[in-house]
Amino acid sequence: MYKYNHFIPLFMYGVKNKDIIPEQWYNITPDLPEPLSPPRDHDPERSSIDLLNRILPLEVLKQEFTSRRYEKIPEEILRQYEQAGRPTPLIRARNLETLLNFTGKIFYKYEGATVTGSHKINAAIPQAYYAAQEGVMEVATETGAGQWGTATALSASLNGIKSKIFMVNVSFRQKPLRKRIIEIYGGNVVASPSTLTDYGRQILKKEPEHPGTLGIAISEAVQYTLDNNIRYLMGSVENSVITYQSIIGLEAQKQLEIEGEEPDVLIGCVGGGSNFSGFVFPFMKTDVEMIASAASEVPKFSKGKYRYDLIDTAGILPQLKMISLGADYVPPPIYSGGLRYHGAAPALSMLVNSGRIGTDEVTEEKSMEAMQIFARTQGIVPAPESAHAIATAIDYCRNNENQGKTVVLNVSGHGLLDLSIFGD
Amino acid sequence: MKLALYFTFPYPSRDAFEKFLKRTLPLNYEYVELGIPTEHPYYDGPTVRKTHGKALEEFSMNLLKDTVHMIRRTGKKVYALAYCNLFENDPDGFMSSMKDVGFDGLILPDLLTDYYSMRKDIASSVSSHELELIPFFNSTTPDAAINEILGLTSSWVYFGLQPSTGIRVPLDIPSMYSRIRNICGEREIIVGFGINSAGTVKELRKIGFDGIAVGSAFVNSMENDDQEAFDIEMRMLESETHG
Ligand SMILES: Cc1ncc(COP(=O)(O)O)c(C=O)c1O
Repeated sequence: MYKYNHFIPLFMYGVKNKDIIPEQWYNITPDLPEPLSPPRDHDPERSSIDLLNRILPLEVLKQEFTSRRYEKIPEEILRQYEQAGRPTPLIRARNLETLLNFTGKIFYKYEGATVTGSHKINAAIPQAYYAAQEGVMEVATETGAGQWGTATALSASLNGIKSKIFMVNVSFRQKPLRKRIIEIYGGNVVASPSTLTDYGRQILKKEPEHPGTLGIAISEAVQYTLDNNIRYLMGSVENSVITYQSIIGLEAQKQLEIEGEEPDVLIGCVGGGSNFSGFVFPFMKTDVEMIASAASEVPKFSKGKYRYDLIDTAGILPQLKMISLGADYVPPPIYSGGLRYHGAAPALSMLVNSGRIGTDEVTEEKSMEAMQIFARTQGIVPAPESAHAIATAIDYCRNNENQGKTVVLNVSGHGLLDLSIFGD
Repeated sequence: MKLALYFTFPYPSRDAFEKFLKRTLPLNYEYVELGIPTEHPYYDGPTVRKTHGKALEEFSMNLLKDTVHMIRRTGKKVYALAYCNLFENDPDGFMSSMKDVGFDGLILPDLLTDYYSMRKDIASSVSSHELELIPFFNSTTPDAAINEILGLTSSWVYFGLQPSTGIRVPLDIPSMYSRIRNICGEREIIVGFGINSAGTVKELRKIGFDGIAVGSAFVNSMENDDQEAFDIEMRMLESETHG
């Protein structure tokens, strides 16, 4: 319509935040091509599904098993979303296009623009809000990269409750600034394995310098939740988290519509699958291509198996059918802590397994290169996790077959607290 | 409202099973589901799961046949509730023995999940043996999969309320019901999994379900050989559904 419309800020069209932030989250479950295999109990004596009643806020548990396509976002959550920086911008990466001699268009949805610097706040706010509504005084969770812990700490404080964060030991050591910021936001952070739970103590006894894994940190957070009768917040993988993250894709859809654009391909990075699924699932009814980018060092797509597996290493939570490298898998200590998870969300796993969603795996070295390219062209230092998606997008645009296409990329976070990846 | 009773066959022992079943036969209810025991009853909660172990030890094909005939003489319909892992290598052989036993049909709780890729073959094997296939699905089954299985069958449908038997997580039942009713139209919907109190039955009846299926609720009284508790439970179910 207007040739230069990308230079005109949205407010000049009279577009307000509330026109872009959706009023409802989208839940893909009823629209999946095949039924999701339900969570499974694996302990003969007790029901780990039943135990969820003591682990999750009730409203979150309800949304875990819902078949409702659209879930109304409560007013107070919408208000907190706006305070946290939503809607996040959709920006055309013109400088990157030029650098790559790409004749198509590259857009990126920038989740790094939220106050805590990643998409994680999208799922932390509703869970902390529901927990506080239900009278819970404290929540617990795990964190790998530190982004989820940061989002949880702020969301808990915004809703007037405390937070305990089990941070994977390697990240705890690699990222002292993360610990600091979690504390500034009001969270209480400990390295996992820790001495706060039986499970952590058992591991430390065998291996005092254990690097920790997300699977272990989840186990500790859940155990601590049960021991202290508080509630646990889930950072990724679970259906309800994917539903909360749908705000990314729903906003992007609206923003693309305003731009008059239709994407040919959507690209994002995958740890547990929350930013990717939240970004692409609202587009599932179109025939847009989708590419999930993981770490070569944690090769879940090329080496993982689609099967029932544990979410947490200790096996307190029910099993899920997902693409997994095995719950005992100890990933190498790559910098992208958020990509070091052994599994991936069930709905995403199903769609990867069926071929609807394509995949890519990117080495740490290549992702660091992509971080620099993106910083020098677009001025944004992406999170190392997000840099995997950028590397995949760069490869995609360098492939001559893809000239002229419209590429939309989710940049899940900024990397300003991850700069030590380039050395001290 | 209709009532379906679930028993893992033959739990807790052959004699005790028969004794308890016989106590229910004079009551006013429509369907019996007999659980064929398996080593891995994946979607059952701990209560029903533990019944499978004992039932496996006590299982007898002849007794099953006698039991099914005894139930059918009362005019009630009787269905086998079986996990597909029992017959994945030989569906036709299994269906032919189920027909021979005298069942009206089958309920296969994992057909649309773990055996989704085999659903059409299994459904046609069931119907080629003149057995009814009762579509089983739950709240997370996508619309397209429900529509397809409805098209392959003509009987009542079984809606699994909770993610597993005998447990209760919070659910928005009215919204689940309206979605399922929209898809199922006039088909009779029997709801099961996690129903254990008069309050729940009243609620489900009010919402509009056509019937309920109950199993875990009376396992304990059978386990403890407590006939009185069992009878109280049965009278409650009968009066809440047919009163
Ligand atoms: C910035 C960022 N991106 C991506 C991820 C990966 O998680 P998910 O796949 O759930 O989005 C994380 C996880 O910590 C993260 O911090």
